[in-house]
Amino acid sequence: MPRNWLAATGNSPPVADALRQALAIAGKDLAIEWRTKTALVSSLAFAILVLAVLFFARDPTAVSALDIAPGALWVTFTFAAMIGLNRAFLLERENRAMDGILLAPVPPGAVFFGKLAANLVFVGTVELVSLPLFVLFYDVGLERGLLPLLGVTAMATLAFVAIGTLLSSMVVRTRFAELMLPLLLLPFLVPPVVGAVQVTARILAERPLSEVAGWLKLLAAFDIAFVTASTLLFRATLEE
Amino acid sequence: MPPAEPVLRARDVVRRFGHRRVLAGVSFSLAPGEALLLVGPNGAGKTTLLRVLAGLLRAHGGAVERRGSVGLVAHHSMLYDALTARENLQFFARLHGADSTRRADELLDRMGLSAWADERVAAFSRGMTQRLAIARALLHEPAILLLDEPLTGLDDRSSEQVLDVLAELKRRGRALLIASHQLAELMSVVTAVGFLIQGTLRAVEPLGGRDAAQLAGRYRELTARG
Amino acid sequence: MTRDRAQALARRGSLLTAAALLGLAGVYVRALVFTPIERFQGPAQKIFYVHAPAAWSALLAFAVTGLLSVLYLWLRDRRLDLVAAASAEVGLAFSVVMLTTGPIWAKPIWGTWWTWDARLTSTLFIFLLFVGYQVLRGAMVDPDVRARYSAVIGILGLVLVPFIHLTVYLFRTLHPDPVVMKPGSPSLPGEMLVTLLVSLGVFTLLYLGFLAQRYALGVLRDLQDEEASRALS
Repeated sequence: MPRNWLAATGNSPPVADALRQALAIAGKDLAIEWRTKTALVSSLAFAILVLAVLFFARDPTAVSALDIAPGALWVTFTFAAMIGLNRAFLLERENRAMDGILLAPVPPGAVFFGKLAANLVFVGTVELVSLPLFVLFYDVGLERGLLPLLGVTAMATLAFVAIGTLLSSMVVRTRFAELMLPLLLLPFLVPPVVGAVQVTARILAERPLSEVAGWLKLLAAFDIAFVTASTLLFRATLEE
Repeated sequence: MPPAEPVLRARDVVRRFGHRRVLAGVSFSLAPGEALLLVGPNGAGKTTLLRVLAGLLRAHGGAVERRGSVGLVAHHSMLYDALTARENLQFFARLHGADSTRRADELLDRMGLSAWADERVAAFSRGMTQRLAIARALLHEPAILLLDEPLTGLDDRSSEQVLDVLAELKRRGRALLIASHQLAELMSVVTAVGFLIQGTLRAVEPLGGRDAAQLAGRYRELTARG
Repeated sequence: MTRDRAQALARRGSLLTAAALLGLAGVYVRALVFTPIERFQGPAQKIFYVHAPAAWSALLAFAVTGLLSVLYLWLRDRRLDLVAAASAEVGLAFSVVMLTTGPIWAKPIWGTWWTWDARLTSTLFIFLLFVGYQVLRGAMVDPDVRARYSAVIGILGLVLVPFIHLTVYLFRTLHPDPVVMKPGSPSLPGEMLVTLLVSLGVFTLLYLGFLAQRYALGVLRDLQDEEASRALS
């Protein structure tokens, strides 16, 4: 292996080291984002805009807010997420800081998990702030549905953030990263987003979740398949 | 004194970009306490060679043998502008599994940057950034230090500070490889010279007490051979 | 591969394509003249003999790209990347055929150009993924990086396909297709089945012919780059 692949530093097992490194990378990413807050503020503003626009982009006498609510929520979540995803690798290109990371004995999996964790916190924050606004704008009742909604949100978000993290590591090298990421990511959004919308619709209509067991299984399988695939394929996107 | 065991060795290293051979068979060895100056025109492959030696790029042909870890100081600082000097060093120290706070402060002190430990790198001058970059490269106490144009853009005082650090590293038995066209300033530190022309090392020889002008002449001589 | 061998491959590819196109003309004749008209859908159903095999060829093309992407990341042979990319491009062409014949078929039968039918929808998204594949390839200068990144997309696409099908299937069980349409039904009466199978064979040959030509073109371009870079150094 070409790089300085020390499997362990000190006496701790390699996995613990890798985990610590991943957390260090995630922490560093979040610290940097917190300093400038640019991507976070942009994503939040975008989310609010999309929620509002979609609310008005219908004939209110023909289409109830509840009908479009699930779709509106998920379009908001995914598009706001895409704004923030390129941030993760753009900041590494600035002074070629990624080279500094790769010069250290950090396995590619640890780099991926660090980036993924930071992206999840980022997107999760945007989602958690958008959710009360969603409830407010669309006048939906979430007394009993909050926990299931958070659950399905977590599942679908993990899916597209994992794939988005992998794709952004590639597109940041191109000139049109902002265009390329949505173009490449959207086909992958179909299974998790369609599933999430179906489940969200059931939750908002206060119908039993057993009706959407198939979709939930799809989401779970998709998560497993693509988090695994993204982790394994990430190594191929690093310069060598 | 018998020659020490080389701590870095390149054997016929080849590196392509598409079909173009950027490095076409580079061989040399570097022993502890040696400082090899790599001379060559822009586009000769100096930066690529350093990246291959550091392990950032794979050699497409040949091999690189290392007996010890490598530190790299490149054209880009590999630092985060939004973080402070100390935060940068702590982060990279953590990646190496070192005791981050202690190590960071040690190196800040050694590079004369303690006063700016809590300043963001964005506010640093070129000289300070370069010193911090060297600090980052030294975090894991590498046996080999590779430097790509370390003195470019530095004022005299910063240059002196960097040269002092390099001299001390050499005294302590580290192996140094410096790619640079600033021959005159580096004469005090360098022990050997290699001429990288069109992807191959045309010659690797001890400095032999020559000065910058003589080295430039040697370079012209080697290029004329074609 | 040398220039001569690449050109020979291109020639053989064009011969194969020409033969397949002749076969395609034969399929048209057979489908239009010698195959009975379907009872419920009328003559419009005959476009099925082009629509279904095109879908098959597209699927084959993308599967080949996916598999070769895996092999490329394992073996790092540049030729694997060239074949994968050639196959992806050919797949795009067949997808376009499938996606245009679909609406042409749907319009006379249901009065609407686009039906969110399972197969059309799946093909649409996979088509868009491979458009992204081409765009990404176009944006990369370094051929080694381009090959690696293409392989990543190819493999992700391979993993995605079953999920797209599952998604559309689940969606469809909520909103079923009109009863009449059963495009892939194996229970076709004799004559129609024969026409379909012949068409499938012809389309497969067409795929192979196009693939050979496109791959040869890729090799020739690569050789050209090699000569150009040698001239520079």
